[in-house]
Amino acid sequence: MLSHSPFSDGRLASCLRLLAAGDALLLTGDAVYALAADTVQRQALELMPDSVALFALEEDLQARALVSLPARLTAVDYSGFVDLCTRYARVNSWL
Amino acid sequence: MARSMLIVSRQSPWSGPGAREALDIALAGGAYDLPIGLLFLDDGVLQLAPGQHGATLQQKDLTANLKALSLFGVDKLYACARSLADRGLANTALAPAVEILDAQGLAELINRYDQVITL
Amino acid sequence: MKFAIALFSAPHSPASRRALRFAEAALAGGHEIVRLFFYQDGVHSASANIVAPQDELDTAAEWSHFIASAQLDGVVCIAAALRRGVLDAREAERHGRPAANLAQGWELSGLGQLHEAAQQADRLICFGGH
Repeated sequence: MLSHSPFSDGRLASCLRLLAAGDALLLTGDAVYALAADTVQRQALELMPDSVALFALEEDLQARALVSLPARLTAVDYSGFVDLCTRYARVNSWL
Repeated sequence: MARSMLIVSRQSPWSGPGAREALDIALAGGAYDLPIGLLFLDDGVLQLAPGQHGATLQQKDLTANLKALSLFGVDKLYACARSLADRGLANTALAPAVEILDAQGLAELINRYDQVITL
Repeated sequence: MKFAIALFSAPHSPASRRALRFAEAALAGGHEIVRLFFYQDGVHSASANIVAPQDELDTAAEWSHFIASAQLDGVVCIAAALRRGVLDAREAERHGRPAANLAQGWELSGLGQLHEAAQQADRLICFGGH
């Protein structure tokens, strides 16, 4: 789980290197800016292997008016966020 | 069986209490005999550089806390090879000694633990 | 499922509100929260002295209300709290400070409480940063 802007911070790059098959990435807060069109961060997310699932917190997408999102992205509300945490064996938040 | 915890420390020792507070979580877990691993990642590897002098900045340096890890039974220490290389520490003798892992090794490490705290 | 939730950011951070909404959704979904643990700048959530502007969300007050109404265990790391000026009456007296500001319903304790919660929970979920 990431929550920092990918434009001013190395967490996204660092996290992407640690992802393994069967993992999922959840973008929250300013981390959803990684989905902005025409950015290298968006490109990096699109290039993740299919075995890594991509999620974002819906309220953060809406607040930032992020549209034309990647087809592989699933937006979740808080109930979906909780479900994700039950579905994966551990949750690693990049504080 | 006790659930294991990997603590991922990403902060430089000079950026505020963050690095010390990450070590404190590891030491507290060790005090309860819990299976604790500690991974130094990103700026966290800077904690392992030798010869640092906290007194210059009127700070306690982290050396004592790092040494205490083994006394508290926290002896599973790891560092990210890339983080070390990016910071010019690839060929430096680190203190305390840690197991250095590549990206594949890091992904496997995280999956071996029940819980992860990255700070 | 049993969750332990740890918060590392101050109540004015977006992460604090996110943690609160997550905790509410976890209970609404029929899950259990074994403990809320506040560490680093998260300890400010337990300050009774935060005055949010009237037209802004008062996340600290919401935390206090949530913990009281759901009868949850809200534990603040004592070492992190002392460093940041969040004291209960006992600590204020011990350190000769003029006032205690730990809000009602919260408890100062050690990091052992974080580990105990992590042992009891199926998942430890941490919130922090922005």
